Order: sequence, then structure tokens, then C-alpha cells
Amino acid sequence: MMRWRLNPITRKRLQRFRRIRRGFYSFAVLLTLTVVSLFSNFLANRRAIVVSYEGTLYFPTFQYHDMATFAQQDEYGFDDVEADYLSLQVRFAADESNNWVLMPPVPFDPYEPDFDYAEPPPNAPDSRHWFGTDSQGRDVLARLLYGFRISILFAVTLVFVGQVSGTAIGSLQGFIGGRFDIYSQRFIEVWSTLPFLYVVILLATFFKPGFLLLLAIMALFEWIRMTYYMRTEMYREKTKEYCLAARSFGASRGRLIFRHLLPNCLTPLVTITPFAVVGAISALTALDYLGYGLPAPTPSWGEMIDQALASQNRDKLWLSIAPFSAISITLLLVTLIGESIREAFDPKQYAQYR
Amino acid sequence: MSAHARSLTRLLLPVALLALTQVLLQPAAAEDLSAIDWVTNHDDPPIGDPVAKKGGTFYTSMTSYPLTLRVVGPNSNDAFAGWKRAYTMSFSLVMRHPTTDNYIPMMATHWLVQSDGRTIYYKLDPDARWSDGQPLTAADYVHTWHMLQSENIVDPSFNQYARDYYEEVVEVEPYVLKVVGKVESWRPLDMFDIWATPKHAVTLEEGFPERYNSAVLPVQGPYVLTEQVVGQYVVFSRLEDWWGRDKHYMQGMYNVDQIHIRVIDDNDRAFDFFKKGELSYYTVNTAKKWAEEMDFDAIRKGWAHRKRLFVDYPQGVYGFAMNLEKPIFQNKDFRKAVQHLFNFDEINTKLMSSAYYQQVSAFTGTEYENRDLVPYGFDPRKARAHLQAAGYKKRGDDGILVNAEGQRASFTLSYGSKGLERHMTVVKQTFQRFGVEMDLRLLEPGTAFRNGLEREYEMTIMSRTSGLYPSPYQYFATELKQTKNNNNVWAYGTAHTDSLIDVYRFDTDKQHRVAAMYELDAIIQDEAFYVPFWQAPFMRFLYVDSLVFPASFFPKRTQGMTDWQVFWIDADRDTRLQEAMAAERSLGEDTVVDVDPYLVKDRIEAALRAAAAR
Repeated sequence: MMRWRLNPITRKRLQRFRRIRRGFYSFAVLLTLTVVSLFSNFLANRRAIVVSYEGTLYFPTFQYHDMATFAQQDEYGFDDVEADYLSLQVRFAADESNNWVLMPPVPFDPYEPDFDYAEPPPNAPDSRHWFGTDSQGRDVLARLLYGFRISILFAVTLVFVGQVSGTAIGSLQGFIGGRFDIYSQRFIEVWSTLPFLYVVILLATFFKPGFLLLLAIMALFEWIRMTYYMRTEMYREKTKEYCLAARSFGASRGRLIFRHLLPNCLTPLVTITPFAVVGAISALTALDYLGYGLPAPTPSWGEMIDQALASQNRDKLWLSIAPFSAISITLLLVTLIGESIREAFDPKQYAQYR
Repeated sequence: MSAHARSLTRLLLPVALLALTQVLLQPAAAEDLSAIDWVTNHDDPPIGDPVAKKGGTFYTSMTSYPLTLRVVGPNSNDAFAGWKRAYTMSFSLVMRHPTTDNYIPMMATHWLVQSDGRTIYYKLDPDARWSDGQPLTAADYVHTWHMLQSENIVDPSFNQYARDYYEEVVEVEPYVLKVVGKVESWRPLDMFDIWATPKHAVTLEEGFPERYNSAVLPVQGPYVLTEQVVGQYVVFSRLEDWWGRDKHYMQGMYNVDQIHIRVIDDNDRAFDFFKKGELSYYTVNTAKKWAEEMDFDAIRKGWAHRKRLFVDYPQGVYGFAMNLEKPIFQNKDFRKAVQHLFNFDEINTKLMSSAYYQQVSAFTGTEYENRDLVPYGFDPRKARAHLQAAGYKKRGDDGILVNAEGQRASFTLSYGSKGLERHMTVVKQTFQRFGVEMDLRLLEPGTAFRNGLEREYEMTIMSRTSGLYPSPYQYFATELKQTKNNNNVWAYGTAHTDSLIDVYRFDTDKQHRVAAMYELDAIIQDEAFYVPFWQAPFMRFLYVDSLVFPASFFPKRTQGMTDWQVFWIDADRDTRLQEAMAAERSLGEDTVVDVDPYLVKDRIEAALRAAAAR
């Protein structure tokens, strides 16, 4: 197994990154938001977090409980439909029993329309829906939250897959060189000209689209960019003296690549990654906006923007403010991180005269 | 047959054959026309209002600049085609009066349908002229037929049309045309109509699409294209000496001197242009806009009017289609449960400003619509009874119903219209509440359409327009169930429904046809594989005050503004309007919005009330 000990330069770069405050705080904020969003189901959900009923504790967040469980009935006399926790909360509060319901701070999920208003949706923000409802009567805040989780998970996974495979392929191209490099480079050139959007639309007609499929399709194109950088880095590094020295000591290929070359080629990887995340979030948003992203009714920022821009919603400001500020803030945070990393890794920093 | 008769037959047969050969060998021009008892009709009222005045410019818009001026060949079926066909090129030989439905002369003054139900003789109007002064004769119609058959037009759908519809199109005399349709029909004048193409100006050699892509050809209609600025606008100008100007049915039609069509790519931007008074007419095509954005300055000051005109036009097939080849929909109870879970009223009130009416019949808006049908209506109790009968008795861990074999009550809806996604997500949530899962799958529109024809779906949204007469054969014939790539998307058909369809297609007694179609309509409803959506039996439009309409606005059978140009521009009103706008003076708001001259709204609302009462 390889073990990368951080060399002094890298350690210095990390320290420098930590010292660039806007970048470091952005990183902290984004990380917090991401971690928080992983718990969206407990933050915005029409299912309660905990119900204590007749001495039993229920945790309905990931579990379907029908109305019969809590002796409820809907207007048709049905008790096998899903329990209505909000009205349960009201009932328990009124009947002075020991039963109680703990609802999430936002007691709505991103799917269920709320048609309890006299006016047709979208309804403006009020105490019930803090960010208003969208044109199907769904809670905008809930959709924003779940949309963030999907966007960030999607982007991070996509970028991880893309950067790792791109680095591997690009490094091999640069390291092996020769015919392998020429042929693979021609393949990459052909591959990169494939019209991405059409491929997505085409594949969506054959397969049922979903998170993983979309991820796979986009990963097919995501790795390309990284190969360009890694290939040139490898070409340059492998001719340097330290590499020749290692080779003359009889270092194996594996040792050469992982111990000596890769650590010295990492600068582009590290500096590009945050911007790749920005790209991935934008791409997913754009695809959703066009309707070829994640299938409805998946909460997504692109779909929210689509609604906000629809002509009949032009005066419904809350529909546009929420997703636009969410996207701007997220992309700003990621960009600040990326910018700081780039600065921390800037070779000019080490010049003697600074 | 007696021996005597048989020998007589033997004797007469060669004579008969000889006579037949003679008939066949006779040149077409020598057909005996004196025996033809020509039919015509001058008794219906003019389509327009005879008091209409000529003059003025009508400003309107289209969303994209036309890629071609041809009416056949690649790219010829865009929105602009409507204008081209209506005002310049494609005039019918005989058409239906858009209010009385009777046949009236247009390019042909007289006609006669032979008893075979597919041979028609037309006597062409000798006054008809191309805009370059050349006479318009039967040869021009034969030319169209040849054009439609030609591979050189690069238009497979018209090639197919020519093959499917016309046996032959013959010039009997310069002003007598004979059209023979492919199959017998009880409405051959609708089925086998054809338009004229100027033979002296159009050749069919290779390179047809490029040659005529932007060629301004002689026209038969009252307007000719006089100005075109690529990407910006086109102008049609009225021919002052148009041959048809004083014909009985054309009185009061084609009134404006110029039609200025500007390219405005976005419908909302066009709305802004209208508000500023730069367009004469604007079609409002969403309920929301109609409900929420109609209170603007020009309306309040009476410079513009808004009308919702109820028209009587077949609504076609529009709704969920279930694929009977898929196991889940083979259970009739499950299909009925889906019908009862479709909550039209909620969608209509919450998402569509209560603007629409539920469709019930598969033939809505035609005289074959069975108005006694009662809509299924949203009813979770009935739905649950059907679901239980279908075997879906208990809920799974995720709340979706499962049957005894553990199969979930789940299916996928494939659709091509992103505009309907809003409605479908609400439907999905309602279904889910009652234990039925509907996955949504948006496809590229072309793919969704093709998957429908190929029956590559579980449930889809079917949307087809209809002619004045429904065509149940193409939707419900058993014959089509065996093959794919047709409009029988649900794969439905029984021997009994086939016999009903045959009555409709071939029986010449209208009462029999109506009875058969009513029964068919009831059977389709009972089989429950089609969940009809809603209908919009009206035109919503805005127009400037200088534009004047006949009392009933458009004729009864109007679908779009280009269909019948019956409006005119009143010069005095125009002056008054310009002055009022310059002085910011109000002309008084026009508060009459709904117009129902054909009592369509009355009829539909009465039917819905009656159904609700039952």
C-alpha cells in the first residue's frame, strides 16, 4: 500500500489555505451545510420525527404508518392512508393526554401539494410556509433544502469519479506516452465532441432516468478535462532529474508513479476540483431546467428556476429569490474555496523576494 | 338460375365485355357530362358580414421566421403554413360552411358524388385566376396530385397521403375535374378534397425543395406575399382584383389590405407588444394569464377588448391512455380505480383557474358524442372497492398497495409535454395517497409520441386533434391491435366494437351511425382505458378597438384566428383610437367578456349539471 506522507511544501500549502480566511470559512460553512442537509428528512418532512402514542414511541421518518395506528380517519372514512401528523399534533395538544408529536421545524415534505389556501398556488410566504409555495402548492423551503442535498451529493460524487478516472487516464497517457498516448488522445478528441445533451436525451429514452443513471452519463464526459492536465504534468515531471535519479536507483514503475510523480502532479487536480464542483452543480441545474435531469417530482433547483421563470409566475418573486440566492451562495462558497486553494498552491508564493 | 337464363348470360357476356373495353378505352375527355346532375348550394348565408369594409393593416406575430414558403416538402408544416394555406394557396374545391356545416362552392361551382361514394366530379369556377392572370384549370389539380406522389418533393407524409387517399385525379375537360378516392366514404367531399398548384410555374424535377424554398408563386387566394425581411417580418397584401371577391360566400371576408406578421419569438413578449398597441390581435393561450393578467391599461381604457368566444369544434382525444398489453392494466377494476382517483376538479380549480371543462366522451364536440355519459368523477371509496376487487388489498411497507402475489400497484406514466408536468405531479400525489404509485417519466416529445404508437409504455398522455367527424377505426379497430405503429395505442378492440365501427363507417343511415357510436362511446367509457382530461371549447383573444367583428365574431367551427378572416378595420374607429391613445383618454371599458353565440357553453354546462344530478 502506498502511503503519502505530506511533504513540507504540501503542508505549507495547507497552512496557507487555512490562513486565507474567506476560503477557509467558506469551506467550513459549505461543509456544515452539506452535513446538515444530509439530515433533511428530519428538518423538512410531513412525517413526524417522533410520536409518543399510548406509551409507544414511533419514528415515522423512514417508515409508513397509516392512520389506523393513531386512531385517525380521513374525510372518506379511510384509516389505511398515511397518518396526518400535523393534525395529530393538534389533537394531542387538545386532548391533554400524555401523547405527543415532535414535528420537524418545517412540517412539509417537498412533494405534497398544500391546497388549503383559498387562492390557487403559488402562495406567498407566510407563517405556515416560510418561503411560500410553488405553482403546485409545494413548500419552497423544503424543496430548496432537498434540492441542495441532491445538488451537492451529485456534484461531489460526479467530480470524485471524474477526477479520479481523469487523473488515472491522463497520468497513464503521460507516463506511457508513445502510441498509447497518440491513440488514446485521438479517442478523447472524438469522445469530447459528442453532444452531451443529446446523449442524455437519447439514453433517457431507453433507460428510466434517475440519480445513478444521470450520474453515470455525466461521468462519461466528466473525466476528459482532467486528462489534459495530468498528461502534460506527467510528461513534464517524468523528465525531471529527481525522477531520473529515482529510476537510476532502480525504483519500480509503481513506486515511481505513486511515490514520486503523482504527488508532484497534484496541483492541477487540487485547484481544479472546486471549479469542477461548480460546473457539476450548474450542469445538473441546467439539465433539470430543461427537463432532462432528474425525473419529476424530484426536488431540484433547476426545476425551481424553471417555475420562477415561467411567464405566469413573473410577479411571484419568492419563487425566484429562493433558488437564485441558493445557487448564487453555493456557487460563491465553492468558488471562494477554489480561489483560495489556487492561491495557496500558487508557486509565486515561494519566490525568494516575497 | 334456369338453363335459359344461363345461355342468355353466355350470349351476353362477350357483348358486355366488349362494351366494358370500349368504356375503358375511351379517352377521358370524351366522358358524357350531359348526364351529370350537378349539385351546388347558394342558399346558406355568407361566412363573413357583408357590411365589412376593406382596408387597413392587420398586425400580428408568429414565433419563428418561416423556413420555407413551400406548402409541401421539408419544413413546410410550421405555424406559418396556417397563413399560407388560409390566404394564398390551399383553397378547397368544395368546403363546409363553418356555421351551417353544409357544403358550399369554393373553387368548384358545382359537384357531384357518384353512388360509389368515392368518385366525384367537380365543375371548376371559370372565373378562377392565378394571381399572374393565368386561368386556373383542372390541369392544376392533376398537377397537385402528381406533386404529392413525387419523390422529388422530399415529403414522405404527403407521398403517403397521396397513396392512401387518391385513386386518380383526372382532367375531364379544362373546367371539369374528376377525383376518385381510394376507398368508399360517406363524406367523400371532405376526404378527397384537393387543392390546385400552378402548373405553369411549378415543375417537379429533382431539386424541388431548394427550387421553391423561397419562391413567391402565383396564388389562387386573395393575398400575395409582398414583403419579407428574413428573421423579422413578412407582409401579405390583398389583391384588389381577386377573382373571388364578389362570390356569394366570400362577401365580407378577406378585408384588410395588409397582414403584417412580425417575428416575436416569445409569446409573453408578443403580449407586451399588444399592450403597447403594436399588434392588432393576440391569442391568450393559458388559463392563468387569462385569469390574472387581463387587467391592463389598454383594456381598462377600452382601447382593447378581450373576448372568450365559445366555438363548437371537436376536441379530439386528450387524456391518459392505458396500455392493455401491460399486465397491470389488463385488470378492468384497476383501470376503473384509476378513473375514480383522477381528481379533475382539484386540478382545474387549483392549477388552471377553473378555466376548463371535463371531457367525458371519446368523441367530444362531434355529433356522435354520447352526451348521456356520466363522468367517473373523483371518488376514493369507489376506487378502493375497485382496487380491492383487483386484488390490491393491503399496503406495503412504503404505503403502496400490493396484491396477494406481492406485486405493487405501480406503473409509469411516460409523457412528452413538460407543460403538463405540473398537473401530473399533483395527480401522482393523489394516487399515492390512496396507495397507487405513478412514476413520472418525461420523454423528448417525438419519442413520447412514437413510444405511444409502438405501445412502448404503460400509461401515456394521448393528445390527438379530431376532424369534424371522429375516426373510431384508427383508434379502436381490432385489426390495428395486431400491428403496431398506429393510433390504437391502447390495443383495444372486440368483434362487437368492430361491428359498431363498421356501422359508423359504411351505413348510410345517420340514425344507425349515431346509435352505433353512442354505444361505442359507452363501451369505451366502461372499459376505462382512457381517462379523458379537459376541453377548452373556446378561443380567448384580445384585439384593438379599431378591429371590428361580425356579431357572432368567428364562425361556429373555428379553431384558430387564421381559419376565417371575417374581421375588418374601421378607419373612423382607428382615428378615434389613435386620438384617444395620444390623449390618454378612455373609450370606456368593454366589460362583456364571454360570448356564446352558438350556445356551446350553455350546452356543456347543462350536460355537466345533468350528469352531476344523476
